[in-house]
Amino acid sequence: MTDYQVVRRPNTLLRNLNSKIASIPMILTALVVFVGGTVWTVFYSFTNSKLLPRSVFVGFDQYERLWASERWIVSIQNLAIYGFFALIFSFVVGFVLAAFMDQKIRFESVFRTIFLYPFALSFIVTGLVWQWLLNPDFGVQHVVRSLGWTGFTFDPLYTQSIVIYGVLIAALWQGTGLVMVLMLAGLRGIDEDIWKASRVDGIPMVKTYLLIIIPMMRPVFITTLVIVASGIVKVYDLVVAQTSGGPGIASEVPAKYVYDYMFQAQNLGQGFAASTMMLITISIIIIPWAYLEFGGKKRG
Amino acid sequence: MARSVSTSRRVTFTVIAWVIALILFFPILWTIITSFKSEGDAIAFPPVFLNFHWTLDSYREVQERSDYLLHVWNSAAISFGSTLIALLISIPAAWAMAFNPGKRTKDILMWMLSTKMMPAVAVLVPFYLAFKNLGLLDTKLGLIIILTMMNLPIIVWMLYSYFKEIPGEILEAARMDGATLGKEIVYVLAPMAVPGIASTVLLNIILSWNEAFWTLNLSASQAAPLSTFIASYSSPEGLFWAKLSAASTLAIAPILVMGWFSQKQLVRGLTFGAVK
Repeated sequence: MTDYQVVRRPNTLLRNLNSKIASIPMILTALVVFVGGTVWTVFYSFTNSKLLPRSVFVGFDQYERLWASERWIVSIQNLAIYGFFALIFSFVVGFVLAAFMDQKIRFESVFRTIFLYPFALSFIVTGLVWQWLLNPDFGVQHVVRSLGWTGFTFDPLYTQSIVIYGVLIAALWQGTGLVMVLMLAGLRGIDEDIWKASRVDGIPMVKTYLLIIIPMMRPVFITTLVIVASGIVKVYDLVVAQTSGGPGIASEVPAKYVYDYMFQAQNLGQGFAASTMMLITISIIIIPWAYLEFGGKKRG
Repeated sequence: MARSVSTSRRVTFTVIAWVIALILFFPILWTIITSFKSEGDAIAFPPVFLNFHWTLDSYREVQERSDYLLHVWNSAAISFGSTLIALLISIPAAWAMAFNPGKRTKDILMWMLSTKMMPAVAVLVPFYLAFKNLGLLDTKLGLIIILTMMNLPIIVWMLYSYFKEIPGEILEAARMDGATLGKEIVYVLAPMAVPGIASTVLLNIILSWNEAFWTLNLSASQAAPLSTFIASYSSPEGLFWAKLSAASTLAIAPILVMGWFSQKQLVRGLTFGAVK
């Protein structure tokens, strides 16, 4: 940040006023959309609204019903499994790919674009494509079986116990490229002298990465973490396109629960209670990050 | 920047990179190829790769069932419209935050960005009801409004990080020379900020283009963009792979083309300006 505001200028007051006015549309929009919408949602989660919002308060009834619902529990479990593996894999694979791209390979920008392509597709398309690739009659399983391994079974989308991993594969395909590019950006920000120094000291490459480079990339890791994590909690369109929550309720996720209760079961109160739980989860992710990055010390 | 990498290692790495790229690109490629097959060839076994009868039947059928051009036009209008409006709102805001930061600027930015992490489904109902009362359901205007609001935080954040890299002294100098505020923005700030603005615009267009949650829920037929169009093919047509592939290819083609021709801006946009 510049030391710009310390410079005394005759028109400081005017300029500050200008900058306040310039920010007003943005702040208003954010206030109306997010704060307004959130307060409204939390407020009605304590009512027994069905098809339309009603102000008949029922205390925590909706929340009790929510946590007694098997579907909600399955949704939460799925989200936990999905989130855990999505984070680990996208970070590990993304970082390895980035470290790899950092070796000055030819046509780097071409690869970068190809790696990013999946991310530029909508979840709907990703879901459809992978629904097909994982279809036991047409996709991977069929191809491998026809190559001779007739006992080969790989049909995650049709097996209740592992369906969420099928969704996970599609999600990783779509998201890893972004993690890779973010990590690559971080790697490029590392001073070349660090590498020279570690070479002079004879530190092996893997060790240099683990002990020197990764700790230096903390800000990149945290930013990526927040982007990936917030995407995980919101996962919705991928599941809808790929499995519609099936087989049975085996691949339900919280966002879909909210949606189905609001629009299909016409039970707004229940949907609001579930979305309030999601908002709380997001806050649990966001607030520590905001505190770590922007609380305490001021960075430029 | 001279980190020496031996030739043999470089070749190995390049080969590995090609393999990974192929694996990653395969699903897209396969979708495109399948879209040119007949339904029979699409489920043929063993899978035919290139030696099948190339046909445009699937495309014809898709076009017959739904007006592709209408959806493309809707997608374009919505993503460009929302990006433009969002830029008009956020350039002044980002300017103010980057060049006249107050004590709370960082907090406001953080709060703005954190709203982006919020699950959209949590605020769907109030919007749905408001849109219904205002007659904005299934209109392009309605979708433009909602996507503008949804992407605003990211745009402000990105513009802010680009603007912050422009030295304030240059603006100072312009002011010393008697430039008014308007001139300062139009003639000094804007030209320097063009690459950043371009990346922001590009990323935002792609995000809006792919947006599926709001568009699915707030549009039905008239204003439906490509995401709604492709979703309408997902369940009932579950087994018509060629047709489904044709619809998918039509939906992703504009993005693939745009992505290829603007790799640099795209990567920069996606990494919030971190890659130069």
